[in-house]
Amino acid sequence: MKLLTHNLLSSHVRGVGPRGFPLRLQATEVRINPVEFNPDFVARMIPKVEWAALLEAADTVPKGPIEGYEHDEKFLRQMHHVLLEVDVLEGTLQCPESGRLFPISRGIPNMLLSDEETET
Amino acid sequence: MSDVQEATNQLLDVNLDENWRSIQVTGSDPRSESEHLQVTVGATVPTGFEQTAADEVREKLGSSCKISKDRGKIYFDISVESLAQVHCLRSVDNLFVVVKQFKDYQFKETKEEVLKDFEELAGKLPWSDPLKVWKINTSFKKKKTKRKKMNQSSDYYENPAIREEISTLVGDDLASCKDEKDESSKEETHPEVLKFRVTCNRAGEKHCFSSNEAARDFGGAVQDHFKWKADMTNFDVEVLLNIHDNEIVVGIALTEESLHRRNITHFGPTTLRSTLAYGMLRLCAPQPTDIIVDPMCGTGAIPIEGATEWSNCYHIAGDNNPLAVNRAANNISSLLTKSQIKEGKVSWGLPIDAVQWDICNLPLRTGSVDIIVTDMPFGKRMGSKKRNWNLYPACLQEMSRVCRPGTGRAALLTQDKKCFTKALSGMGHVWRKVHTVWVNIGGLHAAVYLLKRTPQAFVHPSEQDKERTPW
Repeated sequence: MKLLTHNLLSSHVRGVGPRGFPLRLQATEVRINPVEFNPDFVARMIPKVEWAALLEAADTVPKGPIEGYEHDEKFLRQMHHVLLEVDVLEGTLQCPESGRLFPISRGIPNMLLSDEETET
Repeated sequence: MSDVQEATNQLLDVNLDENWRSIQVTGSDPRSESEHLQVTVGATVPTGFEQTAADEVREKLGSSCKISKDRGKIYFDISVESLAQVHCLRSVDNLFVVVKQFKDYQFKETKEEVLKDFEELAGKLPWSDPLKVWKINTSFKKKKTKRKKMNQSSDYYENPAIREEISTLVGDDLASCKDEKDESSKEETHPEVLKFRVTCNRAGEKHCFSSNEAARDFGGAVQDHFKWKADMTNFDVEVLLNIHDNEIVVGIALTEESLHRRNITHFGPTTLRSTLAYGMLRLCAPQPTDIIVDPMCGTGAIPIEGATEWSNCYHIAGDNNPLAVNRAANNISSLLTKSQIKEGKVSWGLPIDAVQWDICNLPLRTGSVDIIVTDMPFGKRMGSKKRNWNLYPACLQEMSRVCRPGTGRAALLTQDKKCFTKALSGMGHVWRKVHTVWVNIGGLHAAVYLLKRTPQAFVHPSEQDKERTPW
């Protein structure tokens, strides 16, 4: 699971709503996959990213995009690494509101809820 | 025959270097008009996606297409140098070079006369140029399996040679070591006599003959003309005889296996053709950095096609079935392994991820997805029609939540058109139907619905919580 995916995932436990984001990430096994650097892609993705969530998930992220970030290659490479190259293979995602844990196994998060949890 | 042989010898000497775009066809054959041979290529595409395929041809080759009345076929002219790029087309199942096209063929009255005409036809057709093209096509297919060291181009997926390789089945490449040995022994003892077969496809009410009869008699005449050997299974040249009402096209096949299963190594019960997946994605006109999700991905055919062709977008494959998600993850790994073999060193990641989730309750932020493309359960091999009555409205609702208002769009494939239309009818405030493509999936009449997400923000129908802030 890449951190960009984590940035899109939100807990859907009943009654939690927007407070289900972001999921707390606990990684026990991580792999770094080199991905072709595309500065344009990263620059355009920055505005779509929920920054606070990214800060929580990765500890090597600057406080926020600075003025003129589109041309700051060092910054873009850093973001590229964080968003696309870090792959969480094993770990858990935790709903910040309900505490419910979702396992990540072989890089795939299992977000299925049980029948009781989905009932209104 | 001697012309063909001469052309063959010339072409085997051509230096096929790594930049395919600069292939020069130099024939000492005095009849060849120019070095830049122009040919008409025919392509079979998923029925219903002829226009999408034509758009891809225009975009990548600069050629305009004629869309045949014989559904699922398009024709376009190219110069032979573009042959490598033609193989990179992703909306195309099979390719052939046109020998001759008859727009309005006059069939005689009796079967005997018609078949006799076909026999006589064989010797009168302009085989020479198409055979040259076939020869070039065959020789660079052979060279391709020999080449292991690739360009260390940073623009990996843009390299046409790489893209061409990506468009073959994984099995080919993983067995390329074996192929290499076979190819070199094949080339040394290059046979004078080619093996061939004729495949006839016939459609129309008024024909007095069968496709088998036509193939047999036409094939017999081809054999006499070229002195080739007929072989149904182990052939070098496949001659195509396509008859659709009064339109006849004679061609020579350029592809062996259909390209349509190219990316998938782990099949599931209802795996979608990659060419169809490509067509559906293309309908949505993906823009750079679009988030593209398939919430019922099965084996992942759609996101994998997406990650290969639109690598400047981000793709997520999701399914509730653990078997499906695992297959999708395996297919993604196979894709990575393939890239690894090509590149030789590092493992190149791809902008794609897999998640196990429930379509009716997606763990995604509201309005975070730009494009949704999926193959919805038909209710035939997967699920049931009865289940669809509950599933479809729930799907459409949840998809409208995660899809970005205003700019978001969805391409949804289903055979259960009645159920889908009913489910959609109550959702006019969030989904607007823009286009419908009628397609044929394994004999079933299905439809791809292209929907646009309206600008209206999502409001949960049963939401009572006053504190809820739209997010």
